[in-house]
Amino acid sequence: MFVAPNLTAVAVFTLFPLGFSLYMSAQKWDLFRPAKFVGLANYHSLFAADPLFVIALRNTVVYTVGTVVPTLLISLAVAGVLNRKVKGISIFRTIIFLPLAVSSVVMAVVWQFVFNTNNGLLNIMLGWIGIGPVPWLNDPKWAMLSLCTVSVWRSVPFATVILLAAMQGVPDNLYEAAKLDGAGEIRQFVSITVPLIRGAVSFVMVISIIHAFQAFDLVYVLTGGNGGPETATYVLGIMLFQHAFSFLEFGYASALAWVMFAILLVLTVLQLRLGRRRAAQEERSWA
Amino acid sequence: MWPTACSSDDDALTFFFAANPEEADARQRVVDAFQRRHPDIKVRTLLSGGNPLQHMSIYCAGGKCPDVLMAWDLTYAGLAARGVLLDLNTMLAQDKVFTADVKADGIRSLYDTFTFYGGQYALPEQWSGNFLYYNKKLFAEAGVRSPPGRWDQPWSFGEFLDVAKALTKRDRSGRVSQWGYVDSWVAFYAAGLFGMNNGVPWCTPRMNPTHLNFDNEAFLEGIQFYADLAHKHRVAPTSSDTQSMSTMDLFTSGRAAMALGGHWRYQTVDLAKDLDFDVTVLPTGPKGRAARSNIGTTGLAIAASSPRKQQAWEFVKFATGPVGQAVTAKSGLFVPVLRSAIASAGFAEAHARIGNLAVLTGGPTHSEGMPVTPQWPKIASLMDRNIGPVLRGTRPATSLASGLSHAVDEVLRSP
Repeated sequence: MFVAPNLTAVAVFTLFPLGFSLYMSAQKWDLFRPAKFVGLANYHSLFAADPLFVIALRNTVVYTVGTVVPTLLISLAVAGVLNRKVKGISIFRTIIFLPLAVSSVVMAVVWQFVFNTNNGLLNIMLGWIGIGPVPWLNDPKWAMLSLCTVSVWRSVPFATVILLAAMQGVPDNLYEAAKLDGAGEIRQFVSITVPLIRGAVSFVMVISIIHAFQAFDLVYVLTGGNGGPETATYVLGIMLFQHAFSFLEFGYASALAWVMFAILLVLTVLQLRLGRRRAAQEERSWA
Repeated sequence: MWPTACSSDDDALTFFFAANPEEADARQRVVDAFQRRHPDIKVRTLLSGGNPLQHMSIYCAGGKCPDVLMAWDLTYAGLAARGVLLDLNTMLAQDKVFTADVKADGIRSLYDTFTFYGGQYALPEQWSGNFLYYNKKLFAEAGVRSPPGRWDQPWSFGEFLDVAKALTKRDRSGRVSQWGYVDSWVAFYAAGLFGMNNGVPWCTPRMNPTHLNFDNEAFLEGIQFYADLAHKHRVAPTSSDTQSMSTMDLFTSGRAAMALGGHWRYQTVDLAKDLDFDVTVLPTGPKGRAARSNIGTTGLAIAASSPRKQQAWEFVKFATGPVGQAVTAKSGLFVPVLRSAIASAGFAEAHARIGNLAVLTGGPTHSEGMPVTPQWPKIASLMDRNIGPVLRGTRPATSLASGLSHAVDEVLRSP
């Protein structure tokens, strides 16, 4: 009885849309005319007849790797630094976590100014060291790198919060023992901290992959609704939006959404299994 | 004042449109004039968000389609093909006097723009084709002769380029301090406009084509000429150059001598009180026969599902008829579509700063249409993706003949 309101909300806002989109993925529907059953045709078109799907998938993978790997490395380093008991550390923690409070769209608009080719902060700074203006958002070769940079900047605070919390749970006596054995700070970090926060690292990785795979808002604001220039930032999120709301192909967009869901599900399950296997191996080695 | 949802708590006629605040005021004047004449019909205006087509689609899909809808030449076909818009021939057939008046006073090609699958899905209310604004003071300072003031007095691509070169100034470091030409329209559409002015239409037939002329040599030469303005001749800014300042700001601040745009830019230019400007026609390529603008037009349509079709028809008739068009002409915010309104004293008074008024008054009759197809959103997306490299100077326009042309034709031929 007490959970009924929550259950109703889940049913209406989660289960129904999920079921409806699965149903729609087997239909041809443009919002106005009655939906027409097409079976697996939408999936077939996606895999066999749409060259942009391969491009979008490739771009999404590049974006995901380009976001998740630097995010993990940077947030591990930042959390390691913030975990030190230094005077004034709370001020640094606040600064590091600030991007968490800013909306993605606002952030992207600010970064547009930073990436401005002729008058952007980044190119002005590069100019000081003699490097000519880089067309960050206008050139297909640079656009994805720019996008990943903003995405990493946005993702690091959240990842750092999680990793810092995990680091603070590592017992101090392990570090003291390591110190007595002559281990330096880097050795302590690599051999004690990282193995003991593996669960948190795994969690951050799963969440970051899911977020990166669903990228839309940053791309839409920074490089436009077509995922340009050319197809440089045409990711699956942009493809889905374009088919649903520009081309009014809701059936096709639903099929794409389910393909994205399937890919993420497989990735997450694989990652969890690998994590469990590694944890089991470690337990055996401790025993 | 501008509700953004179609509530069903009253029986008012709902009118959906997109506009900036000043244009919204001008439209309200048309609505007010209508209500004075038809006090029994209450009108509620609905102002569109950033993407009118999406906004409209969501209203209509949710069963709250506004009664009267603003329709755009490039996108209305998608709604017409899906049965959202009423075929106004049903109304025109019952209103013989109005039909005869419109036929006599209207510009045929603008009405034909909204004719699709034999139906008339909107009546035009304004012409928004492109032409060139130019800074008279910069021309005089550089000793450059004024460009032509009428569509039947063409100037060539070569003459245009010479003028743009003469008006482009660089500082000692080589950085451009004044551009000869800037573009305030969608770049890949503007490129096509130069292709069209090299004597080749976008497509034949215009309605529901199965092929666009992206494989036509002359059309591609026009596109290449446009791309070369920025990358070969350096008389126009690249997309990087305009990231920090809009092209219209460059023009109104005297840092660009010519700007391509439609009448929708007039308001911005008119606000620059120190700017001494006029308008001229688009240049014609070596294979072109006459200077041409594009039939950019918006019209008024009625939702097929509207329960107030007769009231909606009265409103559409009023806004696109002589009285509404006279109000439109006086507003100075739009170019009307009835010859009587275009030639009216009110229109001339509202454009007192323009010497070459014939560029505006002759624009609608010297315009050629862009393709009308339900597939336009996909075509526009393909154009953006494929013409982009040409406009960045990384690929020649001839590359479009094999890439873009096939992709576009495939989309046009798919059901």
